[in-house]
Amino acid sequence: MSQNNKITIPAQRVANLVLDMATYLLASGAHCGRVNRNINRMANVWDFDVHLQLTFKGVLTTVKDRHNLTNVVTRYKEAPTHSIHLNIISEISALSWRVHDDMLSFAEVEKQYAQIKEIKPYSTLIVTFAVSLSCAGLCLFASGDYLNALVAFAGAFLGYSARTFLAKRSFNAMIYIGVAAFVTTLITSIGAKLGIGVNPEAAIATAVLYLIPGVPLINSVIDLIEGYLTSSMNRIVFSGFTLLCIAAGMTLCITFFGIDHF
Amino acid sequence: MELTIFNILLDFAIAFVVGFCWAILFGTSRKVLYVAGLLGGMGHALRFVLIQLDCGLIFATLAASILIGLVGIFAAHRVNQPPVVFTMPACITMIPGMYAYRTMIAGIKSTDYDFVLSNPTVLPEMVHNFMLTISLLFTLAIGISIGVLLFRKESSRHISIKEMTK
Repeated sequence: MSQNNKITIPAQRVANLVLDMATYLLASGAHCGRVNRNINRMANVWDFDVHLQLTFKGVLTTVKDRHNLTNVVTRYKEAPTHSIHLNIISEISALSWRVHDDMLSFAEVEKQYAQIKEIKPYSTLIVTFAVSLSCAGLCLFASGDYLNALVAFAGAFLGYSARTFLAKRSFNAMIYIGVAAFVTTLITSIGAKLGIGVNPEAAIATAVLYLIPGVPLINSVIDLIEGYLTSSMNRIVFSGFTLLCIAAGMTLCITFFGIDHF
Repeated sequence: MELTIFNILLDFAIAFVVGFCWAILFGTSRKVLYVAGLLGGMGHALRFVLIQLDCGLIFATLAASILIGLVGIFAAHRVNQPPVVFTMPACITMIPGMYAYRTMIAGIKSTDYDFVLSNPTVLPEMVHNFMLTISLLFTLAIGISIGVLLFRKESSRHISIKEMTK
């Protein structure tokens, strides 16, 4: 049934790759429109119709061969744990354009995708340092002085270390976010108690910002604009709950020191 | 703060560091970390100037995030990466952390009934800061998705200045 003497690719195999890529993209922080475009760009080249149902927790897909009505399959796959890694998005996007421009074969794409999955994120030490530096910068923006920024740096550094320590031991995400917020606020509150800097409030407010779920928050609005309502609601609920956990961790620490000081 | 060249440059420099470091947290490719820093610095410097000129916080943030979104699309052509990988960390430089914090503090304080009765301003304060936080977050999202909103194109690769000026 193949056209132009091309070897028919089993829909099963395409579906597996599509699901793998879509769940990995979602977990790395892509919005639904991007996942849909990237996957369909490739599927078009191989003459397949791909329909996707994207949610936060998993992906449902139907893969149809345009030239063989019996070569069709519907599959579901759960997404891995979400961890933001935008480099994956760049690489898969570049791969889909290579397929579009150079007509890469299916087997070649499977091989290149396996290489993309090998890409490692930045090392924990670099990320911890970067996170602390950016929280110190945000503290300066919130009209803190250099001493406040130093306190924010220390708070973010220890808080992020606590977060990665607990995350490695596979605690629930909400637990380690709460604990990290608590640790960070503990440091910055001690700084405020000791009267370091002119505006200690700035350090307390900005040192926890590394926990803000920025990518899901922004993606939820983008999904809303593009009409992926289920995914958008999922993301809003997820990021809202994360924000609540940050607030809970901070509240615990602040009431510990006495709310009247803030 | 006064509107001097030095202050604008200082603002740019801090925002560059914040954008750069945030791009590391988001795992942007090593080759384009500096683009995130430059976009963040540029956007935040514009926001700083507009706020100093009394344009209002929300308008200034909207203008800055739209600038980041637009320049991000054209930067994407040059480095061959999707624009989100650097517009997202760049927009984070303007995240309304202070207002979110004030909302939370006012929320905690309002759990004490006697306190609310003696300081009724805590409730309008909470609502004001909450609305500011939400509005600012929304303007950031608009800036990042400006390409999708304005150009009606499938991918940023198909957006070109030539076509727009036709």
